[in-house]
Amino acid sequence: MSVLTKQAPGAAASLAAGPPGRRKRGTARRRNQRSGYLFLLPWFLGMLFTIIPFFASLYLAFTDYNLFTEPNFVGLANFQAMTEDPRLWQSLKVTFIYTFVSVPISLAVALLIALVLNRGLQGLAIYRSVYYLPSLLGGSVAIVMLWRYIFGNEGIVNSFLGLFGIAGPAWVTDPDFSLSTLIVLNVWTFGSPMVIFLAGLRQVPTMYYEAASIDGASRWRQFRNITIPLISPIIFFNLIMQLIGSFQTFTQGYVMSGGTGGPADSTLFYNLYLYQKGFTEFEMGYASAMAWLLLMIIAIFTAINFIASKFWVFYDN
Amino acid sequence: MKKTATTGFSRRIFLGAAVTAAGLGLSGCAGGGSPAAGGNVELNFVYWGDSNRAKMTDAAIKVFEEKNPGITVKSEYQDSGPYADKLATRFAGGNPPDVLAMANRSLLEYAQRGTLADLKGLPELNLEKIPATVQSRGEVDGKLYGLATGVTTIGMVVNKTITDQAGVTIPDDKTWSWEDYAKFATEVTQKTGGKVYGAGYDVSTETGPILLARQRGEDFYTEDNKLGVSEDTIREWFQYSVDLRNAGGYPPAGFFEQIGGSPAQSYLAKGTVASQIIPINNFRGYNEAVQGDVVLLRMPGETTDKRRGYSADPTMLWSIAAKSKHPKEAAKLLDFLTNDADGAAETLTQRGVPINPDVAESITSKLSADDTTFVNMMAAIQEDDLPPAYVYPKGASVVADTLKQLATEVEFGRITPADAAKTFLEKSNAAINK
Repeated sequence: MSVLTKQAPGAAASLAAGPPGRRKRGTARRRNQRSGYLFLLPWFLGMLFTIIPFFASLYLAFTDYNLFTEPNFVGLANFQAMTEDPRLWQSLKVTFIYTFVSVPISLAVALLIALVLNRGLQGLAIYRSVYYLPSLLGGSVAIVMLWRYIFGNEGIVNSFLGLFGIAGPAWVTDPDFSLSTLIVLNVWTFGSPMVIFLAGLRQVPTMYYEAASIDGASRWRQFRNITIPLISPIIFFNLIMQLIGSFQTFTQGYVMSGGTGGPADSTLFYNLYLYQKGFTEFEMGYASAMAWLLLMIIAIFTAINFIASKFWVFYDN
Repeated sequence: MKKTATTGFSRRIFLGAAVTAAGLGLSGCAGGGSPAAGGNVELNFVYWGDSNRAKMTDAAIKVFEEKNPGITVKSEYQDSGPYADKLATRFAGGNPPDVLAMANRSLLEYAQRGTLADLKGLPELNLEKIPATVQSRGEVDGKLYGLATGVTTIGMVVNKTITDQAGVTIPDDKTWSWEDYAKFATEVTQKTGGKVYGAGYDVSTETGPILLARQRGEDFYTEDNKLGVSEDTIREWFQYSVDLRNAGGYPPAGFFEQIGGSPAQSYLAKGTVASQIIPINNFRGYNEAVQGDVVLLRMPGETTDKRRGYSADPTMLWSIAAKSKHPKEAAKLLDFLTNDADGAAETLTQRGVPINPDVAESITSKLSADDTTFVNMMAAIQEDDLPPAYVYPKGASVVADTLKQLATEVEFGRITPADAAKTFLEKSNAAINK
């Protein structure tokens, strides 16, 4: 969220506009802080419920906990077993492919639609809502079920292809295609990054574009040299959020495959496998260890992004 | 069991009893019941199934409550998938239900972790009339952890309307071989012009290969809770489906999008396949869901191989949680579900043929034609000398998942049946011997 705050020049301006008196300033800051904490309150309250499971899972990761009997400390055995578990590697493969294909595409689509909507269409609010809607629904069970039907053997997609004499593949049941169906579903839920992009685009001062057109800069150059740098913090924020979100994908894989990660483990997301280990094979110690590995993976990718961001993210302050 | 009950008589129970007593006092209906009974006991009873099963079960519970004043039963039901998840979570959280339905393949996963009560240690449950062969399916190390809700087995259902229209004769199911079935299925596909596939059975459910293994003289799961099926039998199971698909009798890869589900959602009901393997206690459901006349047949290969493949299998099992706070009352409920003819009059053969022969006998006159067909077939099968069958070992759920996964790999030609069989044995043995 700090990225967003930095980007919002309006907020900074309103603070600066106040009288320079020390006491007044102090009150304003305190008031700001108070509302800040107030907004964070739900998170703190939620934290109370997650902090204990959080540390419990850290401990369980080093045990052979099977849900029913007392856990025994086993040291690094779970982590060692992971290196020899082919399904774990398969689940990592599925999750990485899913993430590295769907995140860039969905960000590009989100930015594109945001650019179109930003051109001052009539009924913007309606379009915005319509495009945002899939984001609210995309993770839901009902939509994944719907997706099954759309991509089913007699679904809309194959019927449409049939019009052109193309026999579409079995999108859902063929292991070579099932993951791509889920990637399309994820791209379709571009709404939340789009709304954030839209907010960012509205913050770009129009005077830059005016000056650039007077200098004879083309539309593309304006986009490339004004829009992209100025919204780069937003792109960065969206990238991080989407990466974290797709590493944690669960519902889509679970519903699409009926909980198996099938066909033939082709939609065995990391979190789905973790769930299977914990709740169908009752290896909760192993599952906890997996959860911590995922945390480390996400932390590493986020760190890489933060380091890389120095080279392409531009903060206008 | 006694120990648990004593240590379990803690502040919580005391408080619970106190609150219950207070409640009774307040509502002024304490009655003249003996105070030693501690007032009303509420049992939590869970099972999986659909609303039809729930309706029948609720009716039986009502009978139980009338016969056992002081015990109320709070029942819950769900689909099998979410049911399994919720059950695991409840056991893990130390809040298991008192009486519960258990799948064959999960029984020992729970029992060997000490979460289920030994039913033989509960005098309220009368096991006198229950055949030893049925009891053995819930037994390990001399302890009884699960009692069959009823018995069933698998069979082949054929849509006779389709085969009649196509002019294909259904072979005699008492003597047919697997080759006969393949020939029959291929002929149906040919004569319907490819509109209907002759065979539409599910390759990925373990009951099929279990039967095939028995026919070939092997025990899929052995008496000492190991995997006994040979690589060759699994290879044969996969190879058969590949050959049948190549011949046209079985649908192409990717055809089956939904496996399992209700009879109404089945491909037999859709009319795109002419035959399917089902647990035969569901015969009525299929005959009602399918447009046309459905006939129930024995599985192929029963008389053409080394020995009979059939066995009377628990449809599912009833268990009682080791941590149940009311083991006495739970055992009473289980005894009712097993031995009470009035209860069985409500549930009929919903969970298989009742395992108490007297109870089974008592409901025969109340059954519909389709359920009678099922019961008669069950009886006819058991007239023959069937080889013994054993409880599913710990790890059986991983075995089931492995079969499912490999069946898909074979279906799409990503792996040969021989390689699939090899992998199946490796992974299954690893899971069972862990």
